[in-house]
Amino acid sequence: MKKKTNTKMIVGVAVIVLALAFLIYSTTRSSTQYFMTVEELHSRQAELVGQNVRMSGVVLGDTITYDPKTLDISFVVAQIPGDHKMIEEMGGMSKVLADAAADPLAERITIHYTGAKPDLLKHESQAIVSGSLDEEGVFQASELLLKCPSKYESILPEQAGN
Amino acid sequence: MFYLGFVTFVGAFVTALIALVLTLARLARKERTISPLSSLLAKVSFGLHTVSILSLLLMQLTQDYSNAYVVSVINPAMPDILKATALWGGMAGSLFFWSWVVNLCLLIALTGRRKVLDGWSFLIVLVNLLFFASLSMFVENPFNRVWATVEDKIVSALFSPAADARLYGSLDGIGLNPLLRHFGMIIHPPILYLGFGFFLIPFAVAVSQLLCGENGEGLLGQTRTWLLTAWILLSAGIALGSWWSYDVLGWGGYWAWDPVETVSLLPWLSSTALLHSLLLQKQKHIFRRFNLLLVLLTYVLVVFGILITRAGLLNSVHAFGESNISIPLTIFTSALFVLSVVLLLWRWKSLGTGWEMNSFISRDALFLYTNMLLLAILIVCLWGLFYPLVTGELTGTQQGFTRDFYDQATAPLFLLLIFLMAFCPLIGWSAAAIKKLGKAALLPLLFSAAALIPAYLYLTQSWVALIALFIVMWGLVNMVLLTLRDASKSRFFARWWDRRARYGAYFVHAGILLIALGIMGMEALSSTVEGFMVPGDKMPMGQYEIEFVDIRQEYDNPEYLTTEANLVLWKDGEILKEMHPGQDLYENRGQYISTPDKHSTLRGDVYTLLLDYSLMMGYVTIQVADNPLVNFMWLGALLMVLGAALAASRAPVLGLNDAGETIVLDDTEELYEEVLVLSQQSEEQP
Repeated sequence: MKKKTNTKMIVGVAVIVLALAFLIYSTTRSSTQYFMTVEELHSRQAELVGQNVRMSGVVLGDTITYDPKTLDISFVVAQIPGDHKMIEEMGGMSKVLADAAADPLAERITIHYTGAKPDLLKHESQAIVSGSLDEEGVFQASELLLKCPSKYESILPEQAGN
Repeated sequence: MFYLGFVTFVGAFVTALIALVLTLARLARKERTISPLSSLLAKVSFGLHTVSILSLLLMQLTQDYSNAYVVSVINPAMPDILKATALWGGMAGSLFFWSWVVNLCLLIALTGRRKVLDGWSFLIVLVNLLFFASLSMFVENPFNRVWATVEDKIVSALFSPAADARLYGSLDGIGLNPLLRHFGMIIHPPILYLGFGFFLIPFAVAVSQLLCGENGEGLLGQTRTWLLTAWILLSAGIALGSWWSYDVLGWGGYWAWDPVETVSLLPWLSSTALLHSLLLQKQKHIFRRFNLLLVLLTYVLVVFGILITRAGLLNSVHAFGESNISIPLTIFTSALFVLSVVLLLWRWKSLGTGWEMNSFISRDALFLYTNMLLLAILIVCLWGLFYPLVTGELTGTQQGFTRDFYDQATAPLFLLLIFLMAFCPLIGWSAAAIKKLGKAALLPLLFSAAALIPAYLYLTQSWVALIALFIVMWGLVNMVLLTLRDASKSRFFARWWDRRARYGAYFVHAGILLIALGIMGMEALSSTVEGFMVPGDKMPMGQYEIEFVDIRQEYDNPEYLTTEANLVLWKDGEILKEMHPGQDLYENRGQYISTPDKHSTLRGDVYTLLLDYSLMMGYVTIQVADNPLVNFMWLGALLMVLGAALAASRAPVLGLNDAGETIVLDDTEELYEEVLVLSQQSEEQP
């Protein structure tokens, strides 16, 4: 039996694979984002200035300021763990949020965001922000997402979209 | 009602289990047919499953708040239709509904005109059914009831959790998440689930063929209708989800590369590739391995999607509760994956077709490029999904991607696909000579060049956008000309109807090009302004002006408080329309829902959003977006789905194969033949 050498096929596939690898490699480098907690961010503050970071924390209601004309929003968030299992062990998300908001020793960070004030931005809601740390240690958020866990969460089934 | 629902669910589970055991015993005796008894048991199981799901529905409609699921998704103020559709609004209900869909697919496969299942594939479907049903049975049971213990603790359980616990029916229902109360969201999940479910049958058939050492040639004839139907439902489901997100989520986006969205795209990509290479297998008996791989991959991706959506595995930073079903689901997904890989490797040699790539622009090669591009997009998506997990394991700090990653990595691939879509029909179409090709291509080129003039005048002066527009227009004109090509021949309509499989395929491609047009409008040409306004203020937006008149509140609905801004849309000094973007405040949930208002034309949408307001101070913050061409996206999706349905509607016809035996010809037979003849002509050219 004659052995078939499918040269064109190999060339074609090689070109495609190389192109795809390059595409993925270059976009991976340009759009990587670190997922961190407030504590982790503080511990690596120096090296992370200017890097794209996504972070989650609990909103402290007293600290929210908002100017409807310039759409400048600023508020402080406190440390909550990033790990599900830890959150479950500590009694569920709503308890973790309430405890962290009440804990004066929890690490905190100031967030600045420009845009309309989200409706869920209030005391004890969970803020998930994407952005970067500036030189003064303020987190400049380009994206702001808020969540309010339901009180029934622990015993009742979860809803889609929450 | 609890007992009826729960007992019938147990009955459905047990009958399916008995059918599984019987089938195993029969297969052990090397009999590959399904015994009438197990077939009957499967049908009984479906009947019981249906009664069970109906009783859950009834509990939702009658607001039986002793049921934990009802408490979590129903409240008294919801209209009945939403009370019913809340069946798939929550985790337990949607899982239960999904297992019912799997059972439904089994029933259709068993009773349909064309019998596609043998013992092995029957077994595979039963295993899937029992797996998902046991998730509902043992982990997320929708029939769990609410109990109050002596210490007044509220607990959710099937049966009394402690000696003195009593049923507790007075928890206030929370109601369905307001975001989910949109027509698109009401029908999006069942359509998507049906689409997902239909991929199971081809998967089971493929596994059976590999197990029994068949070469996969029967795959196409047996499962094409399943694949096409699944593809149609999946496409419609994705489009509905996108429309919902544009209409409801307020940010005016239609696609955000959220993991949950991305996973629904994965089986779409692999099944689209599959539909293409199945064409070649039918005609030339090539790409057998590729097709089996794609059939298997598609269903594995479906289950993977359920894992991502339901188990919150990849969303860890979003802190969705990681649920109890994530571990069994992960194991099941991995098992399906390993099974597929092992089977393919085992039979790999015997499936070879000896195909060689003879030319870089032959029809085979172009189909292959199409599939490579589709799979390349799939790989990009998978990389994006797995990256946080991989980096989390390797470095301790999870790293993910911004949506720029998906945009930048997939945009060139999508553009190449669109180019292929515009270019491929020409290869098959004219082709007898390069000269003739030039002539045939000239007309569409002129048409699409002409279309650029209004685009330049009214839409954009950006050259990149214009070139992209040009390619899309070129493809569209090609599709239209292909469809009209036979218009001059006699009995046009009868011929047209006869060949509707082929025209359906043209429609699908034209639909996708229209979607591309809409995406281009949203990504490259849209613009947004935000403004703080007091009554009487006017804000310019391109050729429009938006005036803020006043703001008002309504208390009509018991569930929420509506706040609406009255805006007037001006154009050239004339009033075009009054617009009322607003917000609904669900006080019990502490949740706001934006209700955007838009002025829609074919040119695009003027999309207004009430971002913020103060009744006391009388100001509002309004966002206005100009979204050119966006409506072509919905029109394109409609055309795509209708076109595919048209193609699928052609009943199979009898014909002769190469050996002169009578076989069932597939509905797209004619399309293949035509493409084959034309492309052979073109291949003969130097």
